[in-house]
Amino acid sequence: MAASVTGLLKPWTPRVLLVRWSRYNPYYLEPEPRKEVYHIPETELTPEQKEERELKSVRPIKAATNSVTSSVFNDPVLSKFVNMMMKDGDKIIAKGIITQTLENMKRKQVEKYHKAPEVKKAEIECNPYVIFHQALENCKPVIGLASIQKGGKFYQVPIPLTDNRRRFLAMKWMITECRDNKHRRTLMYEKLSQELLAAFSKEGNVVKRKHELHKMAESNRAYAHYRWW
Amino acid sequence: METRPETVSIFRTQENDPVKTFNEGCVMVRQPALELISHLKRADYINPTLRYLLYGVKGSGKTMSLCHAVHYCSTQGWLVLHIPDAHLWVKNCKELLPSSYHASRFDQPIQASNWLRNFRTTNEHFLSKIKLRQRYVWTKRESTEEGRPLGELVDMGVSRVKSSSDVVGAVLKELRLQAGGTEGGFRLAVAVDGVNGLWGRTTLKKEDKSPVAPEELTLVHNLRKMINNDWCGGAVIATLSQTGSLYAPSSAYLPQELLGEEGFDSMDPFIPVPVSLYSEKEFESCYLYYLDRHWLQHPHSQTEEGKKELIFLSNRNPSVLERLCAFL
Repeated sequence: MAASVTGLLKPWTPRVLLVRWSRYNPYYLEPEPRKEVYHIPETELTPEQKEERELKSVRPIKAATNSVTSSVFNDPVLSKFVNMMMKDGDKIIAKGIITQTLENMKRKQVEKYHKAPEVKKAEIECNPYVIFHQALENCKPVIGLASIQKGGKFYQVPIPLTDNRRRFLAMKWMITECRDNKHRRTLMYEKLSQELLAAFSKEGNVVKRKHELHKMAESNRAYAHYRWW
Repeated sequence: METRPETVSIFRTQENDPVKTFNEGCVMVRQPALELISHLKRADYINPTLRYLLYGVKGSGKTMSLCHAVHYCSTQGWLVLHIPDAHLWVKNCKELLPSSYHASRFDQPIQASNWLRNFRTTNEHFLSKIKLRQRYVWTKRESTEEGRPLGELVDMGVSRVKSSSDVVGAVLKELRLQAGGTEGGFRLAVAVDGVNGLWGRTTLKKEDKSPVAPEELTLVHNLRKMINNDWCGGAVIATLSQTGSLYAPSSAYLPQELLGEEGFDSMDPFIPVPVSLYSEKEFESCYLYYLDRHWLQHPHSQTEEGKKELIFLSNRNPSVLERLCAFL
């Protein structure tokens, strides 16, 4: 039965190819952008990898999106952040803001590094990527709240969050914070770099918002048994 | 090698000053600058002035080579006339006053007074030594007598903004007359960045919306007289620049294209100095400098793979490399 179903899923390509949409036939496989995978010599492949390679030589492969590169500087978390900051599909402006933010953070930290005495130099973190990832980690909530209806009333019930949801919430809070609570004349990258540096040292409004969510969840502990999953 | 802080901060934006970030100022010693400096050392200053023109693709380091040469000149005790960007004088001028000296010309008080202020800070010790050889009358009550020091003239120009463009003209004339002189002779270096802005079109308009030609601006008129090689005792170092230029295509970098007919004829004969992109050694040196100053922070950028990628993405262009390394 399985054989006949896969027989139907043969690669039918329509006359007009809509490559930008992701409505590919499930027969198509995902592309592999990382270069290290192709540099492994024949002898060191595990049996699963050999099977995968054989499958890839037979099946068609989807086109890679523009945001994915085989460059060593490719960062999926950063790409996600850029996509979330993007408005009206203008990725150039969003990417520009992020690069300016990274540059600004690095400049501030390097300036501090060069002016600090020898003893303090080891503690100052200059890598903007490390600061970005650590700041995002510090903003991720551990537990979330869901609105559950029981007996006509809605209760805020503490629930566990998946990893994706936590990352999404951290990024969303960071972006809304930088868009709303800034002076009219401060630029986005300025405010974003200040917030990221504050979150790296566990201060700032975003980390405060995470703590408030944790406190709400703790106070509503009694309703935890309303969750049925 | 150290560079003077005033010259660096004139053309860089104040927030992204690398001198402030790295807590030191450094300039890479490159072939075009060395060539210029060797020419300046060996030239004899009795003949009319030699004009050097730095040209190259966008971002290849013409302005930095100019600054290097200007630094050499100032260490040798020359008087330096540095115009950071000639394009600033032919565009975006808020106030355009009709000149009092010449009826058909226009004055630019703000730009002139800014330039005089910078001139005062760069050439402090010359201001009291040089004496004027002519009497200048500004208004019915104000005039500067013969034999007064140059510093007084410059101060007057900075305080009386209305006549600052005419003061600039007077200063340039005095320096031109006295540069080659045997008694108290000093050498004069005229460094102009973006010299192609002096011949071309301006974006300024008169009150009846007709365009202003560059000859009709006092500052441009006086500067053109400086660039002519009818005086002796100094050198003129100029750079072409497409970045600030008006009505020039972005792929143009050769002198013929950027200066136009008129400009080329006035600059002719000149010594062209081509400024190329980084060679392999220069790229290595820049890369190692960034590593040493902890500017390249991304872990992958410090590997061989990352370095090959940087070479590929920037094509060894200095400004593109700088912008790439900024966020890596």
